[in-house]
Amino acid sequence: MTEKKTTHFGYEEVAVDEKAGRVADVFHSVAAKYDLMNDLMSAGVHRLWKRFTIEVSGVRAGDKVLDIAGGTGDLSFKFSRIVGENGLVVLADINESMLKVGRDRLLDRGAAGNVVVSQADAQFLPYADNTFDCITIAFGLRNVTDKDLALRSMLRVLKPGGRLLVLEFSKPKSSLLGKVYDTYSFKLLPFMGKVITDDADSYRYLAESIRMHPDQQTLKNMMDEAGFGETKFYNMTGGIVALHKGIKP
Amino acid sequence: MDDNAPNQSTLDPTLSTAALAALESAINAALKYDPGTRSALAKLAGQILAVESTQPPFTIYLQATKTENQSLRVFADPDQQCSPTTHLSGPFLAIAALALKDSSTLANSGVTVMGSTALLSDMQTLLKQMDIDWEDALNQLMGDLLGHSLANRIRSLAGWAQHRILSGQRLVSEYLTEELKSLPAKPELESFYQEVDELRMSVDRLEQRIARIIKT
Repeated sequence: MTEKKTTHFGYEEVAVDEKAGRVADVFHSVAAKYDLMNDLMSAGVHRLWKRFTIEVSGVRAGDKVLDIAGGTGDLSFKFSRIVGENGLVVLADINESMLKVGRDRLLDRGAAGNVVVSQADAQFLPYADNTFDCITIAFGLRNVTDKDLALRSMLRVLKPGGRLLVLEFSKPKSSLLGKVYDTYSFKLLPFMGKVITDDADSYRYLAESIRMHPDQQTLKNMMDEAGFGETKFYNMTGGIVALHKGIKP
Repeated sequence: MDDNAPNQSTLDPTLSTAALAALESAINAALKYDPGTRSALAKLAGQILAVESTQPPFTIYLQATKTENQSLRVFADPDQQCSPTTHLSGPFLAIAALALKDSSTLANSGVTVMGSTALLSDMQTLLKQMDIDWEDALNQLMGDLLGHSLANRIRSLAGWAQHRILSGQRLVSEYLTEELKSLPAKPELESFYQEVDELRMSVDRLEQRIARIIKT
């Protein structure tokens, strides 16, 4: 008898082939009110985290950018303005519901011509080798089943010299901030999820998945092992969020 | 910023990013009602002015853009990846003084410039002449009739305030110099500065002479 491989879904242990479906259910459920919840949960600070990501990206006119787990298209919209008409932004997400919201929002805001929308799994990116100048994955890596496989896939589609930026919840630097943050995420967050989307479970999963995600140094090591060079990370808001950066050699 | 990159600023990026976002938002809100400056900035699209303050140490970048809701991008570039068209550096107060004064000369300003001085001059002129059309902004908020009458009111109040400030400054200055005799008049002050300069140069010359005599 062979033992079935498992992975974590929040604090639950689930079969590897089950996780993607469970994550998909969470995002189908929250897609319509995802931006509203992000604003409420972070008091609007997620916009500053994303803005800083764009500053560190060094993206310029004419660049090709892949925005993985791009969800509702916040980063893609900003990048489409920077890369201009000669550049290209690919908004990719594994989740159809999130992608639909993102595509509609981009069109409503007038981003067209240099943006394409693509349903893709971060572990098996369907693009040619050495295609992109920059890849971003914001608040998406912790939902990926095999993170190492995803990092290697991203490395493959980056051009040499291209940058990967991983924006993700991480571990607060101070233990006091950690305690406040824990109370907030496990008590207040599911309550807000219940009130706004009538779905406390999805937001409980978000809080749990954040705790199960590798901390700053572990993720940096994972990027080194995947083959990225000059890896480093920036702690933001006391380490609640970290931005990791690596360059394809 | 984390200890894996020790040479960078220790300020949490969330705070510095918030400050830059607020600055960018204020400038673009002003430009929204100033089509003249907006179209002049669009001609400079893509060019980047780096402003490096040596004291306190920080660098910000200003990039002219021509997107519909944004005419000027203000950003930090923590990894210094962009190539600025013009790089301005000096103490913050010296840079601020340069931005505010009418003269565009950098002589004795404590500010150095690298790259194209044309962009610096264009940006300085544009930011100084930023003419905000408050009436249009008010009209959009309150409708033409209310907006126009409120704008007239603001204009007359602003004119009155400016007149009071100018005449107030003149009266105070006259009172202090002519009546109280507690401050010297401007020509006296200039003559004094001239004498100080001459004295400084004489002392320099004397110092050189003494140094030469000691050597021989």
